[in-house]
Amino acid sequence: MKCSSLVRQLAFRGIWLLLCVALLSACKRENNQVYYAPKETPPAQTVAPNPGDNGTPMAAPEATTLPALAWTLPDGWQEKPPGEMRAASFSVTGKDGQSADVSVIPLPIVGRDFELVNMWRQQVQLPPATDPDAVKQAEPVAIGTEQGRLFDLASEQPMIGKSRERILVAMLTRGTMSWFFKMTGEESFVASQKPGLIQFLKSVSFNESPAASPQPLAIPEAPAENSWKPAWTVPPDWQEMPPAEFLLAEYAIAGANGAKADVNVAMLNGEGGGLLPNVNRWRGQLGLEPLKNDIELAHVVPEMDLPGGGHLTIVDFTGVDSKTGKPARLVGAVVPQNGRTWFYKLMGDEQLVGQQKEAFVKFIQSAKYPNAP
Amino acid sequence: MLPDRLLKIFTSLRLTVVLLAFGIVLVFLGTLAQVDEGLYNAQARYFRQWLILGVDMFGWRVPLLLPGGYLIGTLLVINLVAAHIRRFELTTRKIGIQIAHAGVILLLVGQLATDMLARESQIRFSEGESRWYSESARNYELAFTTGADSNREQVITFPDTLLARGGEIQSASLPFVIRMKSFWKNSEPAFRAPMMQNGPPLTTNGVGANFDFSARPDVKTMDDKNVPTALIEIAGPDGSLGGWVVSGWTADDAMTEAVKESYVQQAGAQMAEKIIGQLTAPQSVEAGGKKFAFALRPIRFYDPFSLTLLNATHTVYPGTDIPKDFRSRVRIDNPQTGENREVEIYMNNPLRYAGLTFYQYQMDAGEAARQAGRVPSSVLQVVRNPGWLTPYVGCAMVAIGLVIQFTMHLVGFISKRSTK
Repeated sequence: MKCSSLVRQLAFRGIWLLLCVALLSACKRENNQVYYAPKETPPAQTVAPNPGDNGTPMAAPEATTLPALAWTLPDGWQEKPPGEMRAASFSVTGKDGQSADVSVIPLPIVGRDFELVNMWRQQVQLPPATDPDAVKQAEPVAIGTEQGRLFDLASEQPMIGKSRERILVAMLTRGTMSWFFKMTGEESFVASQKPGLIQFLKSVSFNESPAASPQPLAIPEAPAENSWKPAWTVPPDWQEMPPAEFLLAEYAIAGANGAKADVNVAMLNGEGGGLLPNVNRWRGQLGLEPLKNDIELAHVVPEMDLPGGGHLTIVDFTGVDSKTGKPARLVGAVVPQNGRTWFYKLMGDEQLVGQQKEAFVKFIQSAKYPNAP
Repeated sequence: MLPDRLLKIFTSLRLTVVLLAFGIVLVFLGTLAQVDEGLYNAQARYFRQWLILGVDMFGWRVPLLLPGGYLIGTLLVINLVAAHIRRFELTTRKIGIQIAHAGVILLLVGQLATDMLARESQIRFSEGESRWYSESARNYELAFTTGADSNREQVITFPDTLLARGGEIQSASLPFVIRMKSFWKNSEPAFRAPMMQNGPPLTTNGVGANFDFSARPDVKTMDDKNVPTALIEIAGPDGSLGGWVVSGWTADDAMTEAVKESYVQQAGAQMAEKIIGQLTAPQSVEAGGKKFAFALRPIRFYDPFSLTLLNATHTVYPGTDIPKDFRSRVRIDNPQTGENREVEIYMNNPLRYAGLTFYQYQMDAGEAARQAGRVPSSVLQVVRNPGWLTPYVGCAMVAIGLVIQFTMHLVGFISKRSTK
């Protein structure tokens, strides 16, 4: 046999082999695999250790104890286990077997009403509102002795079987916490239960003493260890108060004619949720509309350097104290240092805050932060 | 005879022309399809395919049956090799042509091999973390893990392509079967915030109790990826053990980080941490006296060595935010060879080790990470390409073949001229 014809024969066999391999790979089936792998090490901390603290992990955030709630249940309402994040939970059952779910939830969200309304609109498959005045469509409602707002939204399309869905949400802001009382269910049934919800809301009372609730709700908040309290020079006319839970320090200032103002200092990890949400939280405490974006924020936030390095961002707003209903002024300052953020707030009588603003800024400038370089 | 007829077809120049014509049509259709389907989908549908059933053009579905890229490439190789062999002559006169043709064949085969065998994956780790594996950037697997001994765990995985078929899946290593109730190739999570609870949860077990998941249209850009979610029921010999939601959103670090960022914006850092804790909480089921943790995670490719990220540095040009250098210092620890050394991986300086190439890909380090309180982290792109040498060798063979052939012609021509 000639050498060239031998090579030719071998080569043709090679071609058929290649074709078979190609076809086999085309018909390749995915299947399960079984193997052994090294055990995984636990994930690293998500918070960077502070330089100088030997990498000791920060203490786990403690929980805020919220006021205990008391209420009187309307007819047909039944209490359920509260469940995750709920302070209370109820079911309402109608004569024909219809039912609605009622939840009571506290959340640290203040001054973001427009976003909330759009969130609820999304829930009932309504297009998002573009007009910020949508928040004004709420009707006033009594929640205990305080006044809240009641939002009423219903879907246009069937969402629960063949029925449309309706949600009634009553909202009350108390300090830095908003309370939401929400009824969800079939459109007609929820509409018929609206008087019952209003009656329930009126019966609600907040017990400010440490929660006696059988299942106190834990909301993560800033750590309140004294080790994070900066060393500072306190103006002589400020009176130190025992700080409320999760505050580093609290001072009371008394002015002429019974005028009062408070200074408090808190610390959060990282950016503490960002500047804009925190500024809007403060604006919410004065009943002011939230700023929409960083461009608007840039117009109201001046920055100044700190003597020890770093900078502070300061805001100054005047409005109506949402707790007392009196005119008030708030000077807030945000100081990022060493991967954490300190929040300073001076709030109270408009005139007194104006007089104390300079001392407040000097107080912040005097602060020496733990683990500062 | 059939073999002769087949041989005639495979060695014909007509087949070459037809295949090249199909190639032109395919490139045209595939290029148009990128507009609507995105680069990745168009590549997968037209070029990484043996047969194409139906073509989408300008919003219309045309019922065409076309050969895909794999089929055209394979037939071209066969056609070239067969024709070459049929006319093969073992003479020095044509040695240059033989070498050049062999180079072209090697290029074609090498490209096919690269496409079918090459693998790209990623290692995502923070400083101090070690990884024995890299992860697929696009594909997921349903993984069940159970302790094997003090150092190892047994892993049973099912690729997402298998889950997408639905029905019942099982493995001899699992004392239960998995019934696929739903599978969404792309999905979106929504925290069942107390104010947003809309109807009953998908399941009352695990992550489904706190998160709703909904189907989303497939993504079309290279920057996005489909993140699947499945609703499964696990059933043992004595009946159902319950229903669970498994989702790529819960076990893919890149995705959970993105979700966390979005909740930080919406609800603040503390609340976001709590929400993400619920999203990533491990899910497990007990059966046959063993506890099996399970998750729909990016497909993992284990290596016999580990990489530990020692240091991730991101430097910028002074006074600007313009990146100057991304650099990962890693330690290779290979128990099989006893190797334990540190290397630096940075731009244009990948690590080549154990048939893999590690490129610096992404980084979260520097001032921004420090200020946000995040541990510096790095992402390495891991490329395994067994056919990486074929283009170099193929091109060299073509060049050498042509040089030999033209030199022989030139020598012949010059000597013929001198004899005149």
